[in-house]
Amino acid sequence: MNTADDPTQNHQTATAEQALVLDDVRKVYRMGDGHEVVALDRARLSVGSDEIVALVGPSGSGKTTLCSIAGGILSATSGRVIVGGRDITDYSERQLTAFRQDMVGFVFQSVNLVPFLTARENLLVVDEMGKRTGAAARRRADQLLDELGLGDRARNLPSQLSGGQRQRVAIGRALMNEPELVLFDEPTSALDTQLGEQVMEIIRTEMKSRQTAAIVVTHDERITQYCDRTVHITDGVLEA
Amino acid sequence: MFLALREMHRAKVRFGLLIVAIALLVFLILFQQSLQNGLLTSFVGGIRNQSAPVLVYSTDGQRFIQGSIITPDLEAEVRASGAVDEVSRIGQGTFTVAAGAETFDTSIVGYESLGAPERLSAGRAPNAPGEAIGADADIDQGFAIGDVVTVIPGGATLTIVGVATDVQLNAGPTLFVDYATYLEVVASVNPDAQTALPSVLGVSPAPGFSAADTTAALNALSPDLDALIRAEAADLAPGVDQIRQSFQIIFALYAIVVPCVTGLFFLIITFQKAAALTLLRALGAPARRLVSSLLFQAVLIVGGGYALGTALYYPVSQQRLGGIALRFETASVLGWAIALMVLGVGSSLIAARRVLRIDPVDATTGVGQ
Ligand SMILES: Nc1ncnc2c1ncn2[C@@H]1O[C@H](COP(=O)(O)OP(=O)(O)O)[C@@H](O)[C@H]1O
Ligand SMILES: [Mg+2]
Repeated sequence: MNTADDPTQNHQTATAEQALVLDDVRKVYRMGDGHEVVALDRARLSVGSDEIVALVGPSGSGKTTLCSIAGGILSATSGRVIVGGRDITDYSERQLTAFRQDMVGFVFQSVNLVPFLTARENLLVVDEMGKRTGAAARRRADQLLDELGLGDRARNLPSQLSGGQRQRVAIGRALMNEPELVLFDEPTSALDTQLGEQVMEIIRTEMKSRQTAAIVVTHDERITQYCDRTVHITDGVLEA
Repeated sequence: MFLALREMHRAKVRFGLLIVAIALLVFLILFQQSLQNGLLTSFVGGIRNQSAPVLVYSTDGQRFIQGSIITPDLEAEVRASGAVDEVSRIGQGTFTVAAGAETFDTSIVGYESLGAPERLSAGRAPNAPGEAIGADADIDQGFAIGDVVTVIPGGATLTIVGVATDVQLNAGPTLFVDYATYLEVVASVNPDAQTALPSVLGVSPAPGFSAADTTAALNALSPDLDALIRAEAADLAPGVDQIRQSFQIIFALYAIVVPCVTGLFFLIITFQKAAALTLLRALGAPARRLVSSLLFQAVLIVGGGYALGTALYYPVSQQRLGGIALRFETASVLGWAIALMVLGVGSSLIAARRVLRIDPVDATTGVGQ
């Protein structure tokens, strides 16, 4: 058959090994006064299935917007978004919710943990709100907490943990659902240099041991050394 | 339910206080329900639980037994109506009665055949002049079986030979005697008066007549007759409606307060944990999971509060309050349980709406924390 002539077929095979493909993605925010902000313009980006990409750019350049679109939290105004071979461009709210549950891990810029759940429960809640595998999830949570050096902190509430420990719990939480892609939005911005480097060390180790792809957002060039590749973004425009 | 239970576990004081608040409201509701029923029973229990299926008042008595007088003409009309089987004269008056060491304003009811308490809880019916049936509620005041009470002035004595439950009138001591004894009591107090006329007639329907048929037939007979089925006679007695209405206002207020308390509580905690809920939505928690977690908490809180409130109410419901005997009102307990569950859980739907409106994108920027 002449499949080579079918562009969609081509596209699917080409993206099968990619954790993320952004194809001509544009995001326009419409303000209340009718004014428009172009947060992302003609973004083209591929992230390999075990690749760690640093996304570097100044504040307001569109980094969080890009992560939100890649993670199915926000819909693009135009363009296509393919994650782990699944084209999520036209997903409904409900499909996006299920997609986030199954396919991606998040470490957000600000609030990352549920304050009334312990470290271990913050990992387990991912399973509780999703597949409910029970014992398997508990084993996975304990293993992740051990790997992250939090074995003795499992029963602590977030308020009883240091900033670095909280960030490690968030990393464990992001890995609970065995994601195809993990999105780290400025994971070290609240930490001092030394702690930040430790956290990046952990991120790299965890991603590489699981062969999981990641985007690490930062405006700190030093962080990029822990990543395989760096992509710059300025005013919503990507440049390699 | 993981999330719901963990949250409650970590905020025991906050959820505990809400449970206690609801328990107190439940206690007050149920207590007042008992109070209302006890109060009504003490006013008209003697009508509700006497043996005549239909009571015939004179219209100008305004449904107050003591204010009603059946003239011989009216009595003759009733007897000739064809709508009645048995006809019993019933007289009632309030007398000063010395019992134990005290005197009481006592309702004395005289009956020919119909009009005595339907069932006795102890003792026997009077079978000799000067014997009386008392009310359970008055036993401690010197109206127990074997007690002899004296009507003042005049000094007629009555011996209690039986007692019945829920047969008080006018919220005070009440005695039932045969009609001849009643006439003697009236004469002893006021020797110069003519023979007293009956206050009302207790009648049973003629064969083939229902109680409603009989009242309809008698009321059509003369505008001076006011025939009422037993239950109606109790419900329409002066004051009963006012008591009911007053309590209904109180109950309506509770029916507003309970959902306000639960609704506001859940709205406040939903606002307080908005950041956590937004985070969970961003992580792929379906909104309906978060809503069912909230509703589950609402059910636990209302259910817990209700159970605690009922536990507080139970011992109190076994007490007497002044002359009023309280009861554990099982029907009210069940009815209010359903009503408050609906109101409480319904009110938390406002918070649920707020949960449904959460936009997960706010987790990326930290809005809502
Ligand atoms: N919800 C929004 N509504 C309107 N404008 C927004 C919204 N979110 C982000 N923006 C705008 O889009 C641009 C990119 O924002 P963002 O992706 O948060 O940048 P970064 O994460 O790189 O700081 C900024 O100009 C920002 O003001
Ligand atoms: Mg940002």
